[in-house]
Amino acid sequence: MIKQRITSLGRSTLDTFESLGRATIFLFQASVGIPGKEGFHLWLRQMHFIGVMSLAIVLVSGLFIGMVLGLQGYTILVDFGAEDALGQMVSLSLLRELAPVVAALLFAGRAGSALTAEIGLMKATEQLSSMEMIGVDPLRRVVAPRLWAGFVSLPLLTIGFSVVGIWGGYLVGVDWLGVNEGSYWSNMQASVSFIDDVGNGLIKALVFALVVTWIAVFQGYDLVPTSEGISRATTRTVVYSSLAVLGLDFVLTTLMFGEL
Amino acid sequence: MMNDPQFVEVENMYFSRGEKEIFRGVDMHIPRGKITAIMGPSGSGKTTLLKLIGGQLYPDAGRVEIDGLDVHRLKRRELFRLRRRMGMLFQSGALFSDLSVFENVAFPLRVHTDLPEAMIRDVVLMKLEAVGLRGARNLMPAELSGGMLRRVALARAIALDPELILYDEPFVGQDPISMGVLVQLIKKVNQALGLTAVIVSHDIKETMSIADYVYVLSDGKVMAHGTPANLNVDRDPQVSQFMHGEPDGPVPFHYPAPDYYSDILNQGARQ
Repeated sequence: MIKQRITSLGRSTLDTFESLGRATIFLFQASVGIPGKEGFHLWLRQMHFIGVMSLAIVLVSGLFIGMVLGLQGYTILVDFGAEDALGQMVSLSLLRELAPVVAALLFAGRAGSALTAEIGLMKATEQLSSMEMIGVDPLRRVVAPRLWAGFVSLPLLTIGFSVVGIWGGYLVGVDWLGVNEGSYWSNMQASVSFIDDVGNGLIKALVFALVVTWIAVFQGYDLVPTSEGISRATTRTVVYSSLAVLGLDFVLTTLMFGEL
Repeated sequence: MMNDPQFVEVENMYFSRGEKEIFRGVDMHIPRGKITAIMGPSGSGKTTLLKLIGGQLYPDAGRVEIDGLDVHRLKRRELFRLRRRMGMLFQSGALFSDLSVFENVAFPLRVHTDLPEAMIRDVVLMKLEAVGLRGARNLMPAELSGGMLRRVALARAIALDPELILYDEPFVGQDPISMGVLVQLIKKVNQALGLTAVIVSHDIKETMSIADYVYVLSDGKVMAHGTPANLNVDRDPQVSQFMHGEPDGPVPFHYPAPDYYSDILNQGARQ
């Protein structure tokens, strides 16, 4: 009994490391796309599917999160007579934490799952194999444009999320609850550092973009080509990317803002 | 090399997937310019064999040579170069679902040649004409029937005028008419282009009617090989069971199971 458990523990550890290794080799092989105009067009098309199509959900969520932050922040700050600091609170929460993390989670659900399912279906219908037999490397033609489109679009979406969120906080705090407009903006300007806050938030977004897109395309490429396999891989994409984003966020926050 | 009549050589190949041994020492010689059929019951690894020949899977032991090149020793780049000389027709057709019929056939030309657009158009229309689907050029794969899908896939497979073409179960799931069309097309393509063809199939009648030479696989080995005429009169019980489609024989009807009566009487068991 105990021996069996040790055996299965060892096997699952080995399996985990093996698939980590496969995923790493995969990332290197898929990082170089097709050069020239054709590769650029393939990338642009994916930018549309992955980036532009995620715009609506990311911006709407950003607006609501900003509005909630404005409301919650106001009710707490007003007790201390500090409602003038609302702009600072809203912008720092968004830039440092909420925008990169929430945008990445939404991105994993909206674009990541679609990537896994799309590549998985191409595998299940032998489109990837037939591309290989035509003499075209699907890693370069199918995976690389998607990987790069995800890597570029999530940071841009994160910026959009922050901008709309700050505007949402303004709508609720200034237009509705009557915080002084001048202090909303000037407090924000005085307290937000471009490098420490905006820059670190963007670094987070870049890391999350890489991790989420990598997980999504790898799960699609590596899945068992059956309907059950595709559904499992899609679920795994969302679960793994969400956990990875939240876990990495803690690590990155410790490194960036940890020294008090 | 041109004098060598063998185009594809499979030597003592072993392959297993997980615990299951699929090939245990397979030897095959596939002659240049002929149609060679590989037959065998479902699950005998026929499709796997094509993937091994195409270099998509790697054998555990043994070699596959195409035109003197060891497929599994080539670098990734060289392998992709070799694949430009092959075409493969997949069971499902495997057309790119986001491209129209025209663009599917044009795809190999666009990625591997610098032909001007007008010439690509000519070549694509020629290939589509050969499979009788020139009028369907603007349809998307989702709008095609199964037989049409496979014909478009055939047009795409011959777009670059390959030297070797691999057919994976070309007749499965076809109605009698499109089956007949495909049989004719495969024969015609082979004669017109003088290419080497490998057909993997278990449709005996159709395959025997066009094959020049036949290998029969069973249990991970070549069970028999010869010309269709020779195999038809083969007296070996296993060969004759397969060739004449008898339900029971050396290949048992039953999946291995414990003794029937004791299994039925074993009331305590849950399943």
